[in-house]
Amino acid sequence: MSDPMLGLTMLGLIVAAIMMGFPTAFTLMGMGMLFGALAFFDPAQHWWENRIFDLMVQRTFGAMNNDTLISIPLFVFMGYLIERSALVDRMFRAVQLAFRRLPASLAVTTLLVCAFWGMASGIVGAVVVLMGVIALRPMLNAGYDVRLASGAITAGGTLGILIPPSVMLIVYAAVAGQSIVKLYAAAMLPGFFLATMYIIYIMGRAILNPSLAPKLSPELYRVPVPDWLVRLEIGPENRIVGGLLLALARPGMLQDATYLRLLKNVAAALLPLLLTIALFSLAWWFVLVRNAPVDATVPPEMMIERSVDIQASTDLSTPGDEDEESSTTEAGAVPLGTTALSPAAGAQADHVPEGFYTQFWGFAAFMALLLGYYYWRMDGEQLEILKMLTVSVVPLAVLTLSVLGAILFGITTATESAGIGSIGAMYLAGMQRYPRLALWGTLIGAVIGASLGTIQHNTMTIIISGVLGGLFGGAAATWGRDLLGPLRMLDILRQSVFLTAKTTAMVCWLFVGSALFSAVFALHGGQQLIEQWVLGLNLTPLQFMIVAQLIIFILGWPLEWTEIIVIFIPIFIPLLAHFDIDPVLFGTMVAVNLQAAFLSPPVAMSAFYLKGVAPPHVTINQIFAGMMPYMLIVILLLAIMYMWPGMVLFLPEFLYGR
Amino acid sequence: MTIQNVLLTVDRISAWSGKLFAWLIVALALVVGVEVFKRYILNAPTPWIFDLNSMLYGTLFMMCGAYALAQNAHVRGDFLYGSMRPRTQAGLDLALYILFFIPGIVALVYAGYGYAELSWRINEHSNVTADGPPIYHFKSFIPIAGALVLLQGFVEIVRCVVCLRTGEWPARLKDVEEIDVVGTQIANSEYVDTESREVASHSRDIEDAAKHRGSTESSPRHGGKP
Repeated sequence: MSDPMLGLTMLGLIVAAIMMGFPTAFTLMGMGMLFGALAFFDPAQHWWENRIFDLMVQRTFGAMNNDTLISIPLFVFMGYLIERSALVDRMFRAVQLAFRRLPASLAVTTLLVCAFWGMASGIVGAVVVLMGVIALRPMLNAGYDVRLASGAITAGGTLGILIPPSVMLIVYAAVAGQSIVKLYAAAMLPGFFLATMYIIYIMGRAILNPSLAPKLSPELYRVPVPDWLVRLEIGPENRIVGGLLLALARPGMLQDATYLRLLKNVAAALLPLLLTIALFSLAWWFVLVRNAPVDATVPPEMMIERSVDIQASTDLSTPGDEDEESSTTEAGAVPLGTTALSPAAGAQADHVPEGFYTQFWGFAAFMALLLGYYYWRMDGEQLEILKMLTVSVVPLAVLTLSVLGAILFGITTATESAGIGSIGAMYLAGMQRYPRLALWGTLIGAVIGASLGTIQHNTMTIIISGVLGGLFGGAAATWGRDLLGPLRMLDILRQSVFLTAKTTAMVCWLFVGSALFSAVFALHGGQQLIEQWVLGLNLTPLQFMIVAQLIIFILGWPLEWTEIIVIFIPIFIPLLAHFDIDPVLFGTMVAVNLQAAFLSPPVAMSAFYLKGVAPPHVTINQIFAGMMPYMLIVILLLAIMYMWPGMVLFLPEFLYGR
Repeated sequence: MTIQNVLLTVDRISAWSGKLFAWLIVALALVVGVEVFKRYILNAPTPWIFDLNSMLYGTLFMMCGAYALAQNAHVRGDFLYGSMRPRTQAGLDLALYILFFIPGIVALVYAGYGYAELSWRINEHSNVTADGPPIYHFKSFIPIAGALVLLQGFVEIVRCVVCLRTGEWPARLKDVEEIDVVGTQIANSEYVDTESREVASHSRDIEDAAKHRGSTESSPRHGGKP
């Protein structure tokens, strides 16, 4: 017995059932079991032979075998490890000093650190509480407006769940059968655009009305410069670079400081230059070497066809299953550094994009000018700030960017990147505790890795294998030392492991429940009925989009993103094709939309988290008032995204072709 | 042996088994890392790595289901629920455990047993690659995890009954929570003043209050501490 009306009843009941507060995974499971038993009811059978029991097990096994969800525990583990090992307090101090000359520098710093921190973990509550402790009081003490200060914290904390690597997008990918890689690429630009708009808003308010964010008194951001560095400064502008170089040649200038110390400072000063060079050579390598065609005799048409085939199989694949496999065969089967046919290369017959050289050298010249100016102006204080940034921000930034870069450029699959990211997070934790040991481990590992890499006779492979080897070596040395002896890091590891287990169990059991629920819903024909009904409304794509986003916005008030994505997105996904809306665009818009929902009064949880740590004179209404403008900015962004989908789809299409 | 002891004993069983299998995440990270090196650098990919990865991940999340339940870590739509009195909460939970929870989890144990048993009988191997590894032991985790979750579910039902009688939620085992990171961070910080440190030490209460959309003073912790 199956009946579309039963399907609709399911849908109506599920909202009520979730609001009853029972664990959602089991609510979905139970509803699926009850209505499924009705659908499969057969009077000739005993009730215990009902096929719903088998469906339940099949769906569970499906979730256990789902290779999109597999990257969730790895990313979550990486996030928890980073949260517990890197020091947000030092990061805040360093970034604040670096931005001290900007208007409303404290608020801008808060926003950036919040977003950066949330990227790792994707958990809003902890970020807001932590930043509430670290940043709110300094801002209020400096005379910042309460609303401006609280808005920066809540908006920044929420931003973290959008910017990749975000767990929310993985869950969306698994639910909608899209590729994680494409979703990550799609969310990059809107995420950074949103962050930029927030910063423009904060600085704009501060410029228009300086009393909202008074300038800090100079002694709050004065950086102590050691005496020997002061002696190296040249001229009234205290320029340091010349002095450092001179001292390299004439160690006598150092007096009491050791030569090693000078070398360390020079290395820190060189870091921006090195990072820039590394970035540009990677871009060069990616475009010119990696994307070069395998065999020049392959006619361009065939290559286009092949990439179209790959795309088609990706698009048609059900719950993201074949996705990763196909990207594995694309990028994985071919060893790194040899000439792989990546989709982007296939889409363009000529593998070097038009105007690449002009753009490349243009950017390079621009960066060279910028760096030149930076080094020309650098004084002792600036060098000290750079050293603080090197310790607190750079390692984490390099790790996050390499994980993301490896995914986005199709070098590894999302799962593989997440695995390497977890090891990288362990490396960072080890490096904090045992810097010297980490250095030696890295060096030895890098040598072993690079020598293993020589079997491929390819410079890039040797470099990358050296980096990987260094990563493994450093992590192994520090953790081996710690676990065999002092056990100082065991606590961090245990906490991360257990929290990962709980979070993964929560998300994946929810997925099991929803898999059963949606199977039964489809069995009853409920999905069809909804489709007919929606199509019968004769909505234009714009109207449909507005209605869909509005529903999700309202659902975002009482529910958490896990529930919204796992339960309600499957209902919208089949409708998208009718309205010719790209599921990747839709997913990104949902992710952005949830930002607005989580910033909207009067139910947004982050406001209450912040209220919990704020001084008593800050009222909940002030916090809500502070969040409002950010919510409006998000809604503005949604409108821009819909009117100009290119912002979302540009990067995925650029990287993977259409 | 009081009821509370029985409850906590079962909680301990769930937590212990969950924490044991939780370590699979470290294994998964290492396996993936080593495979990246093998595949891309040494050009020697492992054919059964796909199966191994899903086995590690699938076993991890299934076997931690009971642990998450024992810690009340499964997400709830607690917008209304959070503001109810404990007795109302317990009544609702009790009814829904019987109506929603039992059928699905019994299916996992009962049909899952048949599913795994068949797999053992036909000596089933994975079909991801031509010569896949055996997967019957992987499938066996479905009924095993189901049994653990079911056991924990019975305990949760008893908790509801106890709460209905006493009007208070019986205590749960103490465990690490997400919000604890605030304490870790503040303990290691250099620039935070003592007043803020004091505030941060109440982070768990702040989280509870926020979940119920209330201020810090009211709303005792769901389940409390033993």
